[in-house]
Amino acid sequence: MKNSIYRQTVYILAPLVLMSVFPNRILAADYPAPGDFQQGAKVWAENCGRCHNIRGPRELRDDQWITTVFHMRLRAGLTGQESRDVLTFLQGSNTPATGAATPVKLSKTATAAVSGKTIYTQTCIACHGADGKGSLPGVPDFTGSKSPLSKDDATLTKNVLEGFQSPGSPMAMPPKGGNPDLNTDDIQAVMNYLREIEL
Amino acid sequence: MNKDSRRMKAGLVAFVLALPVNVYAESAYDTLRNQVDSLKKQLEEVQESLKNYQSENVSKKDIAELKKEVREAGEWKNPNTLIHMSGYADVGYTDSKDGDGSFNVGTFSPIFHFQYRDLVMLESELEFGVEPDGETEVALEYLTVDLFLNDYMALVAGKFLSPVGQFRQNLHPSWINKLPSAPPGFGHNGAAPVSDVGLQLRGGFPVGGMRSNYALYVSNGPELNAVTEDGAEFELEGIEAEGFGEDSDGRKVFGGRFGLLPMPGLEIGISGATGKAAVTSLENELTETTSSLSNESRRDYDVYGLDFAWQYKAINIRGEFVKTTIGSASSGTTPSPKADWSTWYTQASYRFLPGKFESVLRYTDFDSPHDIEDQEQWTLGANYLFANNFIGKLAYEFNDGIEDTPADNDRWLLQLAYGF
Repeated sequence: MKNSIYRQTVYILAPLVLMSVFPNRILAADYPAPGDFQQGAKVWAENCGRCHNIRGPRELRDDQWITTVFHMRLRAGLTGQESRDVLTFLQGSNTPATGAATPVKLSKTATAAVSGKTIYTQTCIACHGADGKGSLPGVPDFTGSKSPLSKDDATLTKNVLEGFQSPGSPMAMPPKGGNPDLNTDDIQAVMNYLREIEL
Repeated sequence: MNKDSRRMKAGLVAFVLALPVNVYAESAYDTLRNQVDSLKKQLEEVQESLKNYQSENVSKKDIAELKKEVREAGEWKNPNTLIHMSGYADVGYTDSKDGDGSFNVGTFSPIFHFQYRDLVMLESELEFGVEPDGETEVALEYLTVDLFLNDYMALVAGKFLSPVGQFRQNLHPSWINKLPSAPPGFGHNGAAPVSDVGLQLRGGFPVGGMRSNYALYVSNGPELNAVTEDGAEFELEGIEAEGFGEDSDGRKVFGGRFGLLPMPGLEIGISGATGKAAVTSLENELTETTSSLSNESRRDYDVYGLDFAWQYKAINIRGEFVKTTIGSASSGTTPSPKADWSTWYTQASYRFLPGKFESVLRYTDFDSPHDIEDQEQWTLGANYLFANNFIGKLAYEFNDGIEDTPADNDRWLLQLAYGF
């Protein structure tokens, strides 16, 4: 009887002792706390497809993604920060593209504030990969004979500005690649960079 | 005459003097009139502009209403409590070499999520299935209260899917499983535990430049079935590791899994559990009766597993091994020697992008203490992804077991699986 009480006490206290290892619980005051969009895209691209087919951001609304991401945090063993990053990415990518057939006016001298390489590394690399071949199944290959770079600049810029669904890709590229700060000069700089390095 | 003449002169002078004044007065009048007309026209233009302005722009009332709508949209979008339902379902057709083909309803498994901010989530999955006799079977696949303790740990309490291996906790939903069937040994009464009731701590943390995840649990553990042909000799029939609401042997099971992701797309896991288990039901084949037992001696219960998964572009390769050992018992109603169940599989799939077809190949080898259950299986599958969560699967199983047993019966399987 004494041993039984002792065992039961251990069963209940053991998890509490382990919990105390991480006492600094982070309660998001501005729940759901914002995460890092680009980091979220990276975590999403590197983890989800290992177990199941990728679910595109537009499959669920913002509120549905909250519970889904918390569910997946437990299933996939993500950290709290990783799940906030993924949630920010998914919620920032599920707004439908405008679809407006607005012709894009390109400046003849692109004057992006930062280099095309920097923009690509910060905004595009999570899905398109460092080698431009795509880090997700179905993402267009910039190095192949059917590279999207073979399209004219106006079409490419329009696709980036408004978002674009490539055939076979698990998700549509969000408008401006999910980075609202991008402008046409930035996009032109990225295209120039990709063409210069001849991926 | 002079008088008249003077009057006429005076009148003439007055006329002459008054003439420019009248002309001037008429001119001023016209000017004023033009100005008034101009002002009237300008006023009409201003009124028209104002009218257009009011029709093209919103009033303060409009703005107030718009703000209210935005607030209400925010309430819908981001409340403290969220309720969400997801899940999966599948239907199919099975045709075995030694039997008639049958349509079947696999499962309908709604999953409910109730979440309060980032503090707690209640998760529950029900499983509805149609038995061959037409009866509907309902089961509680899992029900947990998940308390998010910090960024690296959550306390999971209730009935949870076993963290041993990968298949049961991550891959068993039909829209995720790339083949219509589970690998032998990973289903009910197999080598791998299905679920358990207890407490679990799980989460993830970085290890240098790598990622890792973990699960540690304490639970009621499984129960055992025994069988006898003559009432004198006994053997273990199987392990029921499906989450019991009481600890029949009075000893808890401790277990867990640690997964390491040394590079993106690759996960390697090691898992195990140890504790005690007791025989709780006895099937007497002579009398065709099943009876419950009490006061059976406790046996050792040990299980361990190894698993890996690798995703590279359109290629997905995974595999796992699970072995469960039940210790011997020399006393009690059903004394019997120790018994081992083990199974392993490896599976490769390739998606033909940008198309929607996917090919799958899986090999499984399941070993049971009962030779009649031993099975070696090759499964070849072709999938069509109508969408990433709606999949049509066609597969053929090459089954190799003892002749004229279900374990040796090759079969076709067709399945439509939908994850929602």
